[in-house]
Amino acid sequence: MSLIWKLLRQHISIPQFVGFFFANVIGMAIILLGIQFYNDMNAVYSSEDSFMREDYMIVNKEVSMLNSIFGNDNTFSQEEIDNIKEQPFVEKMGVFTPSQFVVKAGFDIQGVARFSTDLFFESVPDDFVDVDKEGWIFNPEDNTIPIIIPKYYLDLYNFGFAQSRNMPAMTEGILEAIKIDITARGNQDEQIYKGHIFGFSNRINTILVPQKFLEYANKRFAEKQENKVVRVIMQVDNPTDENIKTFLEDHKYVTDEDKLDASKTNYLLKVVLSIVLLVGLIISVLAFFILMLSIYLLVEKNSEKLQNLMIIGYSPAKVARPYQILTVILNVIVALIAVMLVFFMRKWYMNLFENFFPNMEVPSFMPTWIMVIGICIFFSVINFFVIKRKVLSVWAKK
Amino acid sequence: MNIISLVNTIPEVFASVEDLNSEVWRQQIQLEKGCNYLFEANSGTGKSSLLSYLYGFRRDYQGQILFDDVDISSFNIKKWTDIRKKTLSLLWQELRLFPELTAWENVVIKNNITKFQNKKTIETWFEQLGIDDKREAIVDKMSFGQQQRVALIRALCQPFDFIMVDEPISHLDSMNADVMAEIISAEAKRQGAAVIVTSIGKRLELQYDHIFKL
Repeated sequence: MSLIWKLLRQHISIPQFVGFFFANVIGMAIILLGIQFYNDMNAVYSSEDSFMREDYMIVNKEVSMLNSIFGNDNTFSQEEIDNIKEQPFVEKMGVFTPSQFVVKAGFDIQGVARFSTDLFFESVPDDFVDVDKEGWIFNPEDNTIPIIIPKYYLDLYNFGFAQSRNMPAMTEGILEAIKIDITARGNQDEQIYKGHIFGFSNRINTILVPQKFLEYANKRFAEKQENKVVRVIMQVDNPTDENIKTFLEDHKYVTDEDKLDASKTNYLLKVVLSIVLLVGLIISVLAFFILMLSIYLLVEKNSEKLQNLMIIGYSPAKVARPYQILTVILNVIVALIAVMLVFFMRKWYMNLFENFFPNMEVPSFMPTWIMVIGICIFFSVINFFVIKRKVLSVWAKK
Repeated sequence: MNIISLVNTIPEVFASVEDLNSEVWRQQIQLEKGCNYLFEANSGTGKSSLLSYLYGFRRDYQGQILFDDVDISSFNIKKWTDIRKKTLSLLWQELRLFPELTAWENVVIKNNITKFQNKKTIETWFEQLGIDDKREAIVDKMSFGQQQRVALIRALCQPFDFIMVDEPISHLDSMNADVMAEIISAEAKRQGAAVIVTSIGKRLELQYDHIFKL
């Protein structure tokens, strides 16, 4: 043990350091757990349904008896669209483009049955479709169309139709592999395309194709070009904003309540996690102050020794070093213990998650590592400079 | 460093005193490397203050102090740390030892940063000064006279151009005082350094080139 440490460890208060230690382990673990949990939750959300972001809302007009009887249409006029766009809670807005031509789709299932049906398509601007953009394209030269359908179509088939007809149930994987013949007709023209299911969505209740395809096909097959908008999609900054609800009610617009609920849950989760993170941060900062106070007292009590060391030729940096190393070691030990705690707690809750979502990929532990290294460096750097300053003040003291 | 100059230097507390009768304060004097100087004074005339100024420990003076024509008020912490390791050594009147360390550790803690003296030399000094059996004793438990000898050995564990000793023999018998004088002058001679001694009564027996009355 070096002589200088033998001198400077005098007056170290073990209770103060223990206090710092536990407070900081708790604070740090809360921060890390909050961040890791948020990251893991996001993975759960996105594994559920990654096609639409949670803060998107689809809005249409209420369909009422009067509309039907008097033939009032439920389309949005340009003023109405502009009005929505101008609402303060709307960050971005896009309209649904419907297909304006005849669409027929057919496919065979294992040679057993031939399905054929009239269909319609809709599209939204690509930046509202939150998918890996690769594959979500349409190229007129190559006749394939990716399609996203609502998940409950599959449920309808599996639990309704297939059950009653003694047909085999189908998985998402099988359906995605099936090639669908899409016939587009109109304007004395006809074209057969190869469609394939690109994905299933819980959140979007339409049959979605790339915007580019509809722009192209409407131009080619539609008898008359008209831009009737019956649904709009908007990105909002906060789905729980009361103003949204009021606005929708005032204008007799409707949106998917479930969607609102999911968004609310997610939003609440964010709020709760923010509070948890804040509490963790406050505990950590307080713990940091305990450590600083403790070191201040230590330097104060040992100021005569520090001064005498500097008088016999030790530089301020050299006499500050033992305390700096002490704080860095404490910070690192605290960080490692906090990481360990988070690791075990995460193991526990990830088991729960996996029960609910067996297919989900386990997200990385990286956010915790990045955060812990960041906090550790941040606190250590501040400790470093505060101690140096304190020691320099001893130099100046007579 | 070869020359220390005092130019109209005076402690701030004396600044208002008109009829100061001193050979040092408000005078121009030069201390040269290789010479021996004695500052004699009654207590309270600023003898320890002078050494503190020269050592960069206090700055409450007026006038100038120059090391080789450079005003020491311009020195920064790094420069002072350097000077205290390589150029100036000071044996404090109040010793400034570390009471919780042993006599040996008090010396080694200095020699560790200068790496100047070897173990053998230090051991010899302990023997010569009659505190060989106290090497492992905690300094706090030693008499002031013994502590003075430990502090001297510590002061010698570095290279220096000037060594300043502040009433070094106040608690020593004449035999030990003579040994101390011998060791100091031998080490100063070996390094070609100057010795600056202060005294209020008993003086360290050296061949003084100049005696100042403070």
